[in-house]
Order: sequence, then structure tokens, then C-alpha cells
Amino acid sequence: MISANNIYKDFGKLHVLTGVSCEIRDGEKVAIIGPSGSGKSTFLRCLNLLEEPTSGEIWLGDKLITGVDAYLHPDIIRQSRTYAAMTENGVSDKEAVEKIISDRLLKKREGKNFKSSVKEFEKANRTDINLARREMGMVFQHFNLFNNMTVMQNLTLAPVQLGLKTKAEAEQAALALLRRIGLEDKANVYPATLSGGQKQRIAIVRSLAMNPKVMLFDEPTSALDPEMVGEVLDLIKELADDGMTMVIVTHEMGFAREVADRVIFMSDGVITEEGTPAELFDSPKNPRTQQFLKCVL
Amino acid sequence: MAQFLLMSKENYKKFQARPSCRTGNEGWDGFEREGHNMDFFKNIGVLITNEKYMGMLLEGLGKTLLISVFAAVLGLLLGTLVAMVGLSEGKFSKIPKAICKVYVTVIRGTPMALQLFIMAYAIFAIRGFPKEITAILAFGINSGAYVSESIRGGILSVDIGQTEAGRALGLGRGTTMRKIVIPQAIKNVIPAIGNELIALIKETSIVSMIGMYDLTQAAKVIGAGNNMASYIVPMSVAACFYLAIVYLLTFVIKKIETRLRASDKR
Ligand SMILES: Nc1ncnc2c1ncn2[C@@H]1O[C@H](COP(=O)(O)OP(=O)(O)OP(=O)(O)O)[C@@H](O)[C@H]1O
Ligand SMILES: [Mg+2]
Repeated sequence: MISANNIYKDFGKLHVLTGVSCEIRDGEKVAIIGPSGSGKSTFLRCLNLLEEPTSGEIWLGDKLITGVDAYLHPDIIRQSRTYAAMTENGVSDKEAVEKIISDRLLKKREGKNFKSSVKEFEKANRTDINLARREMGMVFQHFNLFNNMTVMQNLTLAPVQLGLKTKAEAEQAALALLRRIGLEDKANVYPATLSGGQKQRIAIVRSLAMNPKVMLFDEPTSALDPEMVGEVLDLIKELADDGMTMVIVTHEMGFAREVADRVIFMSDGVITEEGTPAELFDSPKNPRTQQFLKCVL
Repeated sequence: MAQFLLMSKENYKKFQARPSCRTGNEGWDGFEREGHNMDFFKNIGVLITNEKYMGMLLEGLGKTLLISVFAAVLGLLLGTLVAMVGLSEGKFSKIPKAICKVYVTVIRGTPMALQLFIMAYAIFAIRGFPKEITAILAFGINSGAYVSESIRGGILSVDIGQTEAGRALGLGRGTTMRKIVIPQAIKNVIPAIGNELIALIKETSIVSMIGMYDLTQAAKVIGAGNNMASYIVPMSVAACFYLAIVYLLTFVIKKIETRLRASDKR
């Protein structure tokens, strides 16, 4: 479904992600946990390119959504002038490729062949980010409902604007979604009048209105009053039971254990450990993971 | 003026009796001159019922409004354009962005009067070139710099989460801007734009410096050639005109503002 290959992300001098690779399969529910500032949100936002990775590739199905990262494709590297120069001097193919990747030698000017093969690869595989995002729903910590629109308008804006549904169809679908979460009576109110839990549930169905293939959640309950956490988690659980593929950054360990097929522990910009909830929560191997879990459980 | 205020009553009478005070009084035919500081309100009445002087003031008012309205339209268009360029990203926007930045910096960093002079005596120093256009361009360009900053600030004040939510749904940059960000930014921008328009109307009073006949200049001409206290009457009337325009504008802006705010809560 989604695969992230060797993602690096810098904010100026700050290296937030330093080589994160991970594959999310169809129907899989992945929870990402880890200390504050470890890069969980940044990684999640890289998946739908709200943050552009500094290097690395994101694939959605068989479509590339980032630029081509030549260092991930030895075939492309072999087209480079740097490679040609190395092999001419008697370096073996394997060593040349490895050296180019490890030393990131392509940053210098490269030959025409190389550039055209990057372009060709891009042409064959890359898709427009706006098209890709239609398949990836995202739910934010602070809901981000459109304040200038009613709940109904929030739900119908994207499907109608993108020409996926007529207004009438979109409204019908929106009503069905609102009924599902028991908030049909809120269709015509503005977000300012809603409780946090209601806002977040509406934000979730707003994403569902696009019929996404995967849902990304960034701490969906962290901004909620404790008594509203349950209703939002129940809705997410319901989605999970329906077979939705999802990636959830969360501090709710109980929820992660219950819902996730796989738990990823991130610290200092890398995936330190991953495994089934039982493996990770009951017998963590990495000392960083052990220390973190001791603090939060 | 100060000397006049400090005079004792006797000195003042003597001062009035001076022949020089009685010359050049053409502007005030039919006005009560003796003890006119007492008859301020009476003289106002005389002025506004006098067809000739009222005609002069209205002509000046017309010019003031002409310059203000066209300069405001130009300023709003220019300001919006500059704000959009300033907020755009992408490799093709680098040079336009730099130009806009220089424009805003230079305009905001130099006096309006100087900009007007440069426009009138350097750029459009062409015999017979209509001064109205010179003034409209000078004030429009000046106003555009301030408007662009207001609009930029208004757009930046909309939570970035709103944009992110729009983009995450697959909406393009333009659609997100038009449907989500700008409607919310307008509410924040309207008061600042209103202030800018008010400042613009009042600032047009310096066009007399390039020899134009606006409301302020009309008041000055009416009062000119007379004894000093005579200025106060036409100047006061002109001030009332400015006040009325500004008051009306403030009222309209408030109305727009409340309407915009009412629509996001119900
Ligand atoms: N837009 C940005 N500009 C600069 N630095 C950023 C930006 N976004 C995040 N960072 C920095 O990147 C680091 C990782 O941030 P991130 O939000 O990914 O952490 P996190 O694991 O989600 O933490 P939390 O649990 O607190 O949400 C932090 O040090 C943060 O300050
Ligand atoms: Mg976070």
C-alpha cells in the first residue's frame, strides 16, 4: 500500500528523520509510538507529503509520489558519469555503486544519460501528489475543520470541488456518514459550536467522504478532554474492524495494543524497534524501547 | 497665529485696524469682520450659503474623492497582486517575489510627499500630463504597499492547519486558498484595509504640493489673502467634509465586518 524508503528529513540544521524505511500493507493497522520530538508526526506527514522528505522515496501502491532518489536505484546510478569514471579506473560494479550510495557522490553534476534515465523513471512511475492524497485520509491532532463552513460543507467540499460527486450525491453521502456517527442534527452548524470529540469525529468522516484507501492519524485524541477520548477511539476502532488500512501516531498505549497489527517505536529520527503489540509491549528488546515503555505504562 | 492669540483686547483692535489687514480681503466679501472670532458660527453659516465658496469647496471635494477612489481601487488590486506573489512558492516566483519585496520596502520606507514629487516632477514631468493621473498613480502605488502587507498578514494569520487539511484532502493550492483561506483571511483583513483607506483619503490632502486643487487647497484658497483668523472658517468646513467621509467609510466597514462575522457563527 504505502512504502517509505530511506526517508531523511532536515529542518535547517536539525536532522529530524535519519533513514526511516517502512512498508504498510493493505488492511494493516500500524501504530507509531515514541518519545516527544522523535519525529513521529514528521514521518506521518512525509507519507502524504505535507512535509517534503529531504531524500528518500514514498510509494503509494505502484506510484511514486516523491521525486526520484537516485541513490535508491543502482540501475540509475550506473548511468552516471561518476560511475563511469570509477569503473574506468578498475573499481568493480558492486563497489562503485556502494561507494556512490554511501558517499552520496551524485550531488555533483551528472551526465546526460543519468539525467534522462532519472526523468524516464519519474515519468513511468510518478503520480501527481493531489491525486495521491485523495487516497490517503489524514486526521490531525487539532481537527482542522474548516471554520468558515458548516459541517455539511466541510464534508462535501473536496468531493464536489474535485468533481468526484455532484453536490446532491455528496450531501447524501455526507448525511449517511453523519448518521453513522450520530451527528446528523449537526449538519448545518459551524464547527465553533461543537465539542472537541464531535469535531474530531466529523474530521474523521470528512476524510472518509473521499473514500480513501488508507487513513493517517496524528495523535487524534491528544487535544481532547478525557471524557471525549472514548468516542473518537471507538470510531477509529470501528474503521479498523471494517478493514481500513491505517497508520496511527498515538500516546494511547492500550489502544495501540488493542487495534494495531504492528507497533513501531521511533526515537531520534529512526525506527528503533518494531513488532506485534505483544512482542513490543511485553518483551521489548531495545533498551530505548524498554526505558520508554517503563515511563508510559 | 500664536502672536495673535497672545494679544490683549486693545492691541487686537489696533491690529485689526491696521491697513494691511484690510487688504487682500477679496475672499471674504460679505463676511462679518469685526469681532469675527465671536461670530465663528455665523461666518460658517455665511460660507456654506455662499454659492461661490461652496462651489470652490465642492470642486475640491470632487477632486479629493476622484483621487481617493481610483487610488484605493489601484491600491487594492496592486496590494492583492503583491500579496499573492509574496505568498507564492516555486522556482519561477523568485524574481517577482524579490521585486515585490523591494517595492514594499521602498514605498513604506520613504515619505509620501517625496513619492508624489518624484511622480510629478521626475516620472511624469511631461507638459500637459494630467495631474489627476499622476496623483492617482502615486497614491495607488503607495497604498498598494500597505494593503499588500495587510493582506499578507491576514492570510498568514489563518491557522496553517486549515491549509494542511485542505491539501490533505487532495485539493490544490488555488482551491484551498480560494475556498478555505481567503474567506477566513478577509475577516482579519477588512479592519486593516479600512484603516488604510481612511489614511489614504486624508493623505491626498498633500496634492496641493504639486499644485492640485483638492478640498484642502480649496479651503486654503478661500482663506488666503485674508487676515489670519479667516482661515479657520473654510478650514473648519473642509475638516467637516473629511470627517463626514471618514465617518461614512468607518460605518460601511463596520457593517461589512459584522456581516462577515455573523456568517461564521449561528
Ligand atoms: N516545521 C518545522 N520546522 C522546524 N522544526 C520542526 C518542524 N516540525 C517539527 N520540527 C522539529 O522536529 C522534531 C520532531 O518533531 P515531530 O513533531 O515529528 O515529533 P513527534 O515525535 O511527533 O513529537 P510529539 O510526540 O511531541 O508530537 C522536533 O524537534 C520539532 O521541533
Ligand atoms: Mg507529533
